[in-house]
Amino acid sequence: MKKSLFQKVICFVLSVATLFSVVAFAASAGDLKPDTTAATLEEMKSVVGMTSYSDYLEAYQNAESGSAYGSDAIVVPLDAVTGAEKVSESEANSWVDFKNPNYDYENAVYLSATSKATWTFQVDESMKGLYFIKIEYYTCQTSESSISSIERKLLIDEKIPFSEAGHLNFNKNWKTKTVEKVETTDTTEPDNYSVKYETKDDGYYKIVTDIKGGKKTVTTHKISQDINGNSMAPEIAQTASWGTYYCQDTTGYYDSYFKFYILNGTHTLTLEAEREPMVVSSIELVPATNTEESIPTYAEFKEKYKDKTAPQNGTVTVIEAEFPDIVSDSSVYATNDNTSAGTYPISSKAQLYNVIGENSYKTVGQWAAYKFKVNESGMYKFSMRYKQDALQGMYICRCIKLAGGDYGLADGTPSAPFLEAYNAQFNYDKDWQSDYISDGNGNEFEFYFEKGVEYTVYLECSLGSLKELIKRVEDSLDSINDCYLKILQLTGNDPDEYRDYKFLDVMPEVLYELLNQAIELDNVKKEFEKLCGTGSHTTTLETIAILLDKMGSDDGFYIAANMSTLKSYLGTLGTWINNSKSSSMVVDSISVSPVDASDKEALKRAKPNLFKSLWHEVKSFFYSFFTEYDQMGLTTLPTEDTKTIDVWLATGRDQSQIWRTMIDAKDSFTDSTGTAVTLKLVTGGTLLPSILSGKGPDVYMGLGSSDVINYAIRDAVLGISGNDKRLTETENEIFSSNYYTYKNADGTYVTLKASETYTGDGVKTAFNTKCFDDVIGFDIKNGIQPGDDYNFVEAAMDTVTLLDVTYGIPQTMGFSMMFYRMDVLAELGEEVPESWDELLSILPVLQTNNMSIGVNYIAAIDFMIYQKGGNMWKYPNDPDYQGAKIDLDSNVALEAFDYVCRLYSDYSFPVSYDAANRFRTGEMPIIIGDYASIYNQLVVYATEIEGLWEFTSLPGSWREKEDGTKEFNYDSLAGIGAAVILHGCDDLLSAWQYVQWETSADIQANYGNKMVALIGPSAKYESANVKALENLSWTASEKAAIKEQMAHLSSIVNYPGSYIINRYTKFAFLAAVNDGANAVDALKGYIDTINAEIKRKREEFDLPTLEPGEEPPSVTAAS
Amino acid sequence: MSQTNAEINRPVKRSEVSKLRWTWEEMKNNKTAYFMLAPFFLLFIIFTILPVFLSMILSLTDFNMLEMPSFKGITNYTRLFLEDDIFLLACQNTLIFAAITGPVSYLLSLLIAWFINELPPKIRAVVTLIFYAPSISGQVYLIWKTLFSSDSYGWVNATLIDLGVISEPILWFENADYVMPLCIVVALWTSLGTAFLSFIAGFQTIDRSMYEAAAVDGIKNRWQELWYITLPTMRPQLMFGAVLAITNSFGFGAVVDALCGFPSVDYAAHTIMHHLNDYGGQRYEVGYASAIAVVLFVIMFASNIIIKKALSKVGE
Repeated sequence: MKKSLFQKVICFVLSVATLFSVVAFAASAGDLKPDTTAATLEEMKSVVGMTSYSDYLEAYQNAESGSAYGSDAIVVPLDAVTGAEKVSESEANSWVDFKNPNYDYENAVYLSATSKATWTFQVDESMKGLYFIKIEYYTCQTSESSISSIERKLLIDEKIPFSEAGHLNFNKNWKTKTVEKVETTDTTEPDNYSVKYETKDDGYYKIVTDIKGGKKTVTTHKISQDINGNSMAPEIAQTASWGTYYCQDTTGYYDSYFKFYILNGTHTLTLEAEREPMVVSSIELVPATNTEESIPTYAEFKEKYKDKTAPQNGTVTVIEAEFPDIVSDSSVYATNDNTSAGTYPISSKAQLYNVIGENSYKTVGQWAAYKFKVNESGMYKFSMRYKQDALQGMYICRCIKLAGGDYGLADGTPSAPFLEAYNAQFNYDKDWQSDYISDGNGNEFEFYFEKGVEYTVYLECSLGSLKELIKRVEDSLDSINDCYLKILQLTGNDPDEYRDYKFLDVMPEVLYELLNQAIELDNVKKEFEKLCGTGSHTTTLETIAILLDKMGSDDGFYIAANMSTLKSYLGTLGTWINNSKSSSMVVDSISVSPVDASDKEALKRAKPNLFKSLWHEVKSFFYSFFTEYDQMGLTTLPTEDTKTIDVWLATGRDQSQIWRTMIDAKDSFTDSTGTAVTLKLVTGGTLLPSILSGKGPDVYMGLGSSDVINYAIRDAVLGISGNDKRLTETENEIFSSNYYTYKNADGTYVTLKASETYTGDGVKTAFNTKCFDDVIGFDIKNGIQPGDDYNFVEAAMDTVTLLDVTYGIPQTMGFSMMFYRMDVLAELGEEVPESWDELLSILPVLQTNNMSIGVNYIAAIDFMIYQKGGNMWKYPNDPDYQGAKIDLDSNVALEAFDYVCRLYSDYSFPVSYDAANRFRTGEMPIIIGDYASIYNQLVVYATEIEGLWEFTSLPGSWREKEDGTKEFNYDSLAGIGAAVILHGCDDLLSAWQYVQWETSADIQANYGNKMVALIGPSAKYESANVKALENLSWTASEKAAIKEQMAHLSSIVNYPGSYIINRYTKFAFLAAVNDGANAVDALKGYIDTINAEIKRKREEFDLPTLEPGEEPPSVTAAS
Repeated sequence: MSQTNAEINRPVKRSEVSKLRWTWEEMKNNKTAYFMLAPFFLLFIIFTILPVFLSMILSLTDFNMLEMPSFKGITNYTRLFLEDDIFLLACQNTLIFAAITGPVSYLLSLLIAWFINELPPKIRAVVTLIFYAPSISGQVYLIWKTLFSSDSYGWVNATLIDLGVISEPILWFENADYVMPLCIVVALWTSLGTAFLSFIAGFQTIDRSMYEAAAVDGIKNRWQELWYITLPTMRPQLMFGAVLAITNSFGFGAVVDALCGFPSVDYAAHTIMHHLNDYGGQRYEVGYASAIAVVLFVIMFASNIIIKKALSKVGE
């Protein structure tokens, strides 16, 4: 059929009009949508497509070193910087040891924790080649500082040259504050060689070392103890210091410094902050040498000292490993091990810190350093008493670095004295061992030490000789994972075992790759066996190799039938790599002994004799009945006249220990308020029965917001906003006044209102008691919106507030965020979705590749209602009738509910899934869930995808505002755990002081950081205090994402009867998804039931109620 | 005087004194036995009898666990029977549940015990363990959660998808159609517990000579042997097993919670026990929950009496 001209013109006009309207809408939408923190497709592609350092090195293997042309180091001129400022004079004066003449501090540049500093430099034609990058830096302590080490991205010409340069770690030096080491030598009491350990009353440990030749060293360590003699976690402080850093690897796979290939011309060098502020005083490009060549082998090293002999009157110096002088990381500190009676010090009744290691000191790059001196010049060797029972059938490695005397760089930076020192081996044994430090092949390392010179020995966790093998397994895992995803894209989650997929025709390269990897894993396994012998460790590799071999060689039905096995093996292999990379061992002591000392003198007994151990075990058993676990960490027993409050918390033991130490620390809570705290660790459900029997605490930490309200309306929790009608006027005034506390000269405390004058002879303490409004940071009672200076978001406060009375201060705040796999999205060529519509538009692409999206439906229903502008409750502004009726029957809520149901029924979102596992394999490249718990899980569970995922704020929805305009909203819902004061508390002021101390920004940040230090990166804490976030150890981009979402939070207010809502929305949802019921009808059917229950509950508490169909007077009057 | 003495020393005959007096005399005579019983009796009274009475009293109040209760008369009961739809649903579920799992698990225990009893002793020990294992291994029923996981990787879902029966995973424990049957199956699976063991023990105690005597008297087959000799002889064990079966089938709550969550979807597996937990634990209405408990108590008590009557007919 031929169209007439007229028809054609009309068609053209219409299509153009349609096109324009689409474009116009897209443009207007783009204008309104705020920028999110999510990575763009380009960024994701660049992250994923980045070359590894080994490929980079291979590409430039024939390039000359920069020194080949005889040139000196290229100095990057520091003053021409963009994105950073010079250090101001006042800062320079305030920082400890900043004005160090060895460094060019006058021209130093301050790089903040969010900075991106760029320098420009010139390279002459003659100078192109390979360079090391040397940076002199100062670890400053500013308001941005947290517990993490300094992390920077290095960009050359606006591009990260290879992926490893994206994670440069600058060590801070950490010292344990409470440990002091005093050494005296006493010649008067000659004795046989022995080490005694004495505990003195004032918290000192005394190590008395009697030595050959009749001299005696007395080392005194000071470590805090609780009243029962248990050691308390030493306070670790960052020591601000200068250091020299060569850009180097953090994965443990490369020993030498990174080499960068620099062409001639003008270049830029950028340091982009990931974590922590720092100061840089010089950046130089040092011509690269082949480091392997510049470090001597052990044979060459020995040759140098061949004329040196054993010291004449050399003595054995014993260093207790639990007292390192400096450590790389705040988490490297002493711990307790009571498994052997031969460990020093040992006690059957108390937990003394006597070893270092285990979980806190096992990651590549972590080190502990010990200073020592010898009393005669000569050749010495190190020995160690240790237990390595973590890696069965394998050895772990430490890199021995030395500084002082001949060793290390001129500025004190340590270095390995010879190549073999990178690979000191420690073998597996389930019991304690005592041995010389050696290369594992019987070569005990000997070193020359000069009399009187202070040396420092660094024991750094490294992968040693295993690094290549582990790297090969990791590369192999990447390839197998790719194969798995490719097969999955063809077969789906549940391949049909009886169908011939014709893999050989469709994807021959995948089968070939599987075979290849089978051979590779088999080779690695063989080499492992050569190094460590057969064990469960190599069996894992073998099992996987066999499966891959079968899958690769059989194109029939084997592949489809074994996909789930392959999936679980991928997990196993990931865990295998994790385990192999952690070099965990427990060290009791390190000895420096003359080479001619007998084993008896030089080696500490690995195992004590039978009777000694037996006695220790028997004593420990009986003492275990008398240990006061409640008093763990208590430094002073409260006397009759000290004020004491009871605080309960239901967390883990580690958490309560941290609180204990924080309460008792100097200048902390008890010290500055005079109130002692009895901290009790209880199990979750104990609060209710205890209140019932009148034995409840004064303060409870971490009560869920719905319980806060539930208890509050039944009189068990007190209002703290100063307007609780059940309290007297004087009691209410406590919460609305400011107080200062003074410490009298006689040690007693007085707390006075800020307006009163203190007449005593003491001093004002650091703790000021603030009124409720100041604690929150805004006036919630009068509905005044928070300005800039608030501690808690309004959504968080709403959940613990009922009818204008607030019952608790939020402590933890969880909310959903979106996690995405950058590699998967980049491969599919899709942007990170910012709205639900965008999410649905990329869904077909995901689903054709047999991938899906993971969202929890209960969370989704709730946040969708708020994103679309709805509210869970009707009449939110009516003081009498707020919470009297559910608003789920409003159009907005029904629409939101229907939208969510359709995601699952029409778009086949899985209702039930294992999020972490599917995210790890890439089947679910986008998951939505609680940010801290998913982050913590992924960090330890899925290390093989480290750096390939990020999280950002939730996808948003468009909602209509009252004036008819549209607004983009991506709210998430806050879930709160709060600190509350309970009915029956007779010292309201002290309890209130504790609650506000505990939820304050400093304390929350401190607590979060201590958790990370103690438990590791998987213990990220979701503090409700917005200001605490600044000092928690997230990276700059993670922090930005969390902040973004924190600014967009809603919450469901807890009114009486609110427990019933989720129950029925769940029923309605399941009816819609299971039986295909109409979502709107299903939900509408429950509205009356919900309202009836709410009405009944409100009647119980004498609140005004509404009959079905009845409107409150405020609404009827208005209409 | 001597006559009075003689009267006192003469053993008291039951017909001569009042029932109360008789009991008192008997107690005095057996005071050692009562002394031995006392510790248990005391605990039993404090922790079992007293709470039952307490909950009867509380069921007439509006106790909320935190505040002083006030007296409400029988409002709780009227509300329970006249207003609470979900309670009626719970009653229905409980009765269906009890009617199926109670007798079936009872008969199953009995039959399996009888079959096992026929096996040689060594094999018997092993087979007994196999059948008894599910009920001693605590929360092993959670394996059903893995089997019937709603994930498309769950065993049953994956198999069904493989076979092409379904294309989307079924939310087994979150689908009102499947919840009840699945829970009944799990209940039966775990029910071969103490009752089953006591039946096996009961079979062991029967005097062999009775079978011989019966054979002489003309017993024709094993069924008659079972009905006329075996079962009547082990009536105490049967009673014990029956009581256990009733309490278990009425009090079956924790397993449903663990498998289906609380509350189960659309109250499909909501039993009286759940209703009780709902009000007592989640809504803090202990008065109302006590009323539910009292009703449950009465139902259990009544069914106990019925069972007792039924059991007395065994062997007749």
